Amino acid sequence: MPPFTLHMPESLEEALGIAGQLAESGADFDWVAGGTDLLPNYKWHINHKPNVISLANVAELSKLTPNHIGAMVRLNDLVESEDTHSLVQAAAASVASVMIRRSGTVGGNICLDTRCFWFNQSEEWRDSIDWCYKCDCGTGADCRVIPNQNTLCVATYQADLAPALMCLGATVHLASPDGAREMLLSDFFLEDGITRNQLEPGEMVTHVTLPEEAAGLEGAYQKLRLRESWDFPEAGVAAAWRVAGGELLDLRVATTGLESIPKLHREEADAARAEWAGEESVAGLAESIRKAVQPVNNTYFPPSYRRKMVPVLAKRALSKLKNISSAN
Amino acid sequence: MSEIADDKKDMVGYTQQPGKLPFARPGSGGKDTFSRLQDKSMIPESQGGDRKQPWGPHKHDKLVSSTAIGKRTPMVDSRWKVTGQAQYGDDVRLPGELIGKILRSPHHHAFVKSIDTSKAEALSGVIAVATGKDASSNFGVLPVTKDEHAMAVEKVRHVGDLVACVAAEDEATALQALSLIEVEYEILDSIHDMKQGLEDAASPIHDRGKYHIGESNIQKRVFQEFGDVAGIDTNAVANSKSTWKFGGVNHGFTEPHAVAASWDPSGRLTIYTPQQVPHYLHRSLADVLEIPMHQINVFRTFVGGGFGGKSDPFPHEMCAAILSRKSGRPVRITFDREEVFHVNRGRHPSIIEMNLHADEEGRLCGIETDALIDGGAFASFGHVTTYYNGVLHTAPYEIGAFHYTGARVWTNKPASGAMRGHGAVNSRCAVEVGIDEISDKLEVDPITFRLANLLPPYSATITGFRVTSIGMRECLEKVRAACNWEKRFRNLPLGHGLGLGCGFFISGSGLPIHWDPNKFPHATVHLKVDMDGGVTVHTGAAEIGQGSDTVISQAVAEVLGLPLDMIRMRSKESDTSPVDLGSYSSRVTFMNANAAISASMQIRDELISATAEITGADEKHLVIGDRRIYDKLDPAVGVSYLEALHKAQEERGALVASGAYRTPPMGRMHKGAAAGLAPAYSFSAYAAEVKVDPETGQTKVLKVWAAHDCGKALNPLAVEGQIIGSCHMGMGQVLSEEMKYGRTGHLLNPNLLDYKIPTVHEMPEVVPIIVESNDPEGPFGAKEAGEGPLLPILPAVCNAVFDAIGVRINELPITPDRMHRRITALCKELGIDDPLDLPSPRLSHSDLQLTLEERAEEHAERDLARLLDDAREEYHNGALFGLDPTIAGDEQDSRWEVAILPSEEYMASPRLAGSAWKHTERRHRGEAE
Repeated sequence: MPPFTLHMPESLEEALGIAGQLAESGADFDWVAGGTDLLPNYKWHINHKPNVISLANVAELSKLTPNHIGAMVRLNDLVESEDTHSLVQAAAASVASVMIRRSGTVGGNICLDTRCFWFNQSEEWRDSIDWCYKCDCGTGADCRVIPNQNTLCVATYQADLAPALMCLGATVHLASPDGAREMLLSDFFLEDGITRNQLEPGEMVTHVTLPEEAAGLEGAYQKLRLRESWDFPEAGVAAAWRVAGGELLDLRVATTGLESIPKLHREEADAARAEWAGEESVAGLAESIRKAVQPVNNTYFPPSYRRKMVPVLAKRALSKLKNISSAN
Repeated sequence: MSEIADDKKDMVGYTQQPGKLPFARPGSGGKDTFSRLQDKSMIPESQGGDRKQPWGPHKHDKLVSSTAIGKRTPMVDSRWKVTGQAQYGDDVRLPGELIGKILRSPHHHAFVKSIDTSKAEALSGVIAVATGKDASSNFGVLPVTKDEHAMAVEKVRHVGDLVACVAAEDEATALQALSLIEVEYEILDSIHDMKQGLEDAASPIHDRGKYHIGESNIQKRVFQEFGDVAGIDTNAVANSKSTWKFGGVNHGFTEPHAVAASWDPSGRLTIYTPQQVPHYLHRSLADVLEIPMHQINVFRTFVGGGFGGKSDPFPHEMCAAILSRKSGRPVRITFDREEVFHVNRGRHPSIIEMNLHADEEGRLCGIETDALIDGGAFASFGHVTTYYNGVLHTAPYEIGAFHYTGARVWTNKPASGAMRGHGAVNSRCAVEVGIDEISDKLEVDPITFRLANLLPPYSATITGFRVTSIGMRECLEKVRAACNWEKRFRNLPLGHGLGLGCGFFISGSGLPIHWDPNKFPHATVHLKVDMDGGVTVHTGAAEIGQGSDTVISQAVAEVLGLPLDMIRMRSKESDTSPVDLGSYSSRVTFMNANAAISASMQIRDELISATAEITGADEKHLVIGDRRIYDKLDPAVGVSYLEALHKAQEERGALVASGAYRTPPMGRMHKGAAAGLAPAYSFSAYAAEVKVDPETGQTKVLKVWAAHDCGKALNPLAVEGQIIGSCHMGMGQVLSEEMKYGRTGHLLNPNLLDYKIPTVHEMPEVVPIIVESNDPEGPFGAKEAGEGPLLPILPAVCNAVFDAIGVRINELPITPDRMHRRITALCKELGIDDPLDLPSPRLSHSDLQLTLEERAEEHAERDLARLLDDAREEYHNGALFGLDPTIAGDEQDSRWEVAILPSEEYMASPRLAGSAWKHTERRHRGEAE
């Protein structure tokens, strides 16, 4: 583990104060929540910083109500809370293992660093391949997945919560020394494995809110992985819908584990819902989701397989809508 | 209280000698004051007890005291482990110790032009730096293939190969020092595809001098032909031909390698290391350090899992010793998981062509195997592995012909080596899947097919292995009943399947690795029994978590009639332990327990003589119960263990005894005949029930019924643990574990997140079924249970997958993506759009089924008769094909001639590994070294 200075603020204000000071003095830092993503990367000397601000003692970030999920809420608490939406619960319960969920947090999961088998390796290992674009150690190294294109990092986003929260219309709330802002979670992610999301330097996620209507949505999450524990999603499909009086009134589908960012497939879902015809529509929508994603070869399963599994996962996530035949 | 008074009153024969200081009269020894007579239910019929012996008596029957053997016994060292007090490799802390770190190669294959360590040496806190120049002697676990060095001498051979090492005051300083070492490399072409290893190379990875095979990277090649090979095509009516790909797998033990080395002021080296085979390390250290063996004490720490992965002498062990010698202080080196993968020695990635042939009578008229195995950068145990991939599937079936070509090549990868089920696992999987396919083609039940083709007990295989006890038939029958085979096989719905696989494995390698002319025993056990009654056992057998200490304690306890807490194991240090060859080839129970019995019998005899002297009873009638030696005709006549012991100690003090075990002469004379010889063999049959998701290709094992013939379960709890653990490990190889190499040749998953060992969620219920075939030479009839139980799970799962969805597996692991590809191909072949519409395999029996059932019944009678008949005739493989059973096939039929070199005809179109024979060794090309 490379040495770093650990800061342990007791309040959000203090945390942002430290962040401001560090930024002013030009010192690089990372936020750490549960540490289950950051610390393994640090151990491998991956993009480590001289300062780390821990949010462990910032109690105000652990608030959990049906519509407010603090960034420091532990994934396991989210699973066990009666206030958690069943779709979020399902996604959270599929993350890693119980031990990791007891440390891992909601904010950490949303902001999970993108992953790639050329990147998530020890320093000696990366040295032996002459580094990669995502962590080039000053060498200007090429991307190892898609060579000769040093403009985009294609590392894969492999977290489970985001697609579920996106389907429920979640808003993510950010804070920095310069103030607070919010945006739809579906607008939070940015198509690049290095940039990853809208967070500015020194900015952090404080909490996620769900709109009132989320409670009326039913949903399902399907995750592809080799083992039923520990493994990151090789593909994940979340779906949420509202059915009343035999009619499909609302439908959202989001994916994860397939590209550098999770994606809410708004157009595909809307188009399918407009002419919903039960099982056929499920298959059609599943197919259009498959076409909308473009996995690359940097996770455990080959990309062709992951892509082929997208419609299978989508069909399973949407299986409750097979017998709904009329649309609004 | 009256009982104690009675007991004291009843004590017979012990008198205080006049003139001596009074001390309390001995009780029985042990915590419980009361000794007991034998428990008749545990005493064999042959000794007048109630324990049934359907397969006849055993030579150790008279040693049974009903105290320890056959009882479910927690490991004697388990409390140390569960309370966290067991000292594993990295728990050793020596005063003033330094931390050692290793600089490793970033290149697959390169000459080391120069190494400049001056900056590292100048760093404050660095005490010693060493390179290959500090120890240029080569070493390796097998004397014939010593191709390793402590650190690179001339070149590096894989990413992660050792280049230099540093000892510093702390880890951070050691790591910083590594970064200051400047190495100049000249990069060479590297080889990553094992097929390429068969070809001539500009710069072969090793140079074997005059023994080098062509200019290739072939480390070992084998050609073997037994039986009527030429007749296979004429005789066969059904064939199963398959070319298999097996990924390399790592042992995945919990404890990474860790070593501490210390040169003491008297100039002796003590090395603390979690070794399976301390003795071979002992020899290698002497070679590399160029000091005599007596100057080295190898201290085996607790071992956090070995499975074959800690059975080579390792370069990092040499490094710790070299650094300690240079620095004058103890040095500790602990690996991270990536380094464990670098040193590897896991199961070989392999390409195996397996062709099985059956004739019209449903006999296996031929097995043709071609195995190309990827050895990685070093030889390790590979010489043996190359043989094992062939010879270990010449049983349990009687076969008409056996043709084997095997080759092991060096590639620029971490070295493969021995792993649980060494060399037998992959080809066994291919054989058992082939039998399932051939049974399908013959339209017979695969269990019936097997039952009608088994070698009988006390027979010789086609390659001349002497097989004694065989519990294969009972394993098959028990599993068939337990899993409701008759009703469910080929009758389950799509995606749900039942499959069967068998196994056969050596119970201790017949030939020691370091053979020599002195007839050294394979195992030696020393006992010391002093007046306190406790028995100290000195043995070099390595307790690696498999229960070696426990089983030896049990053997001693049984013979002497003592509770286990009176047995004290001293098995850690070579200074105090007699030489033992170590924990590999599933040899410890068989060999070490036999040595322990032999030593215990000497003590037992002395106790019985002493008892006879005290009581005046006839020695012939004296038996040992729980801390009581008494006349079996009149149990009131007898003494406690301590009384007898003290009598025996008169004028001489502690009793000592040494017992040893050496395998009997076995086998035939052809080149390679010794590979696979063992004093006994284990057998097993497993049925697995699986679910395969036709849409995702994901396979889940639901339940396993696992029957294993271990001869006699000395500790049924440990046998069951081995069976369940083997299922887990084998399931990893069949479903998910694989060392994956990327397009640059780098190992992509050197960590336990991406190297996918099954978790508790993947683990099915395992129903262990113990079969006891009562081996005539095994200790109390026991054979191995440590490796053989792994073999059947792989083919059982593969065959269950076929039963579920009709896909014949020929590539492991069956990851969901591979399975999906196969399902898609099957759909295409059958013109089916939706995999959920695939037909589920079904089977209707042909007329041959009845023939096989009748033959199986006859053979069952034949086998039982052979077991119970001490004057049984010899039985050689070939009798099923009409040969005289009492003579080896090649001695009576010219078609059964043995060949160990390929003919010109074969070389006209050799198979893959067989093509290794196209090269000529340098010495035969008339070239100098």
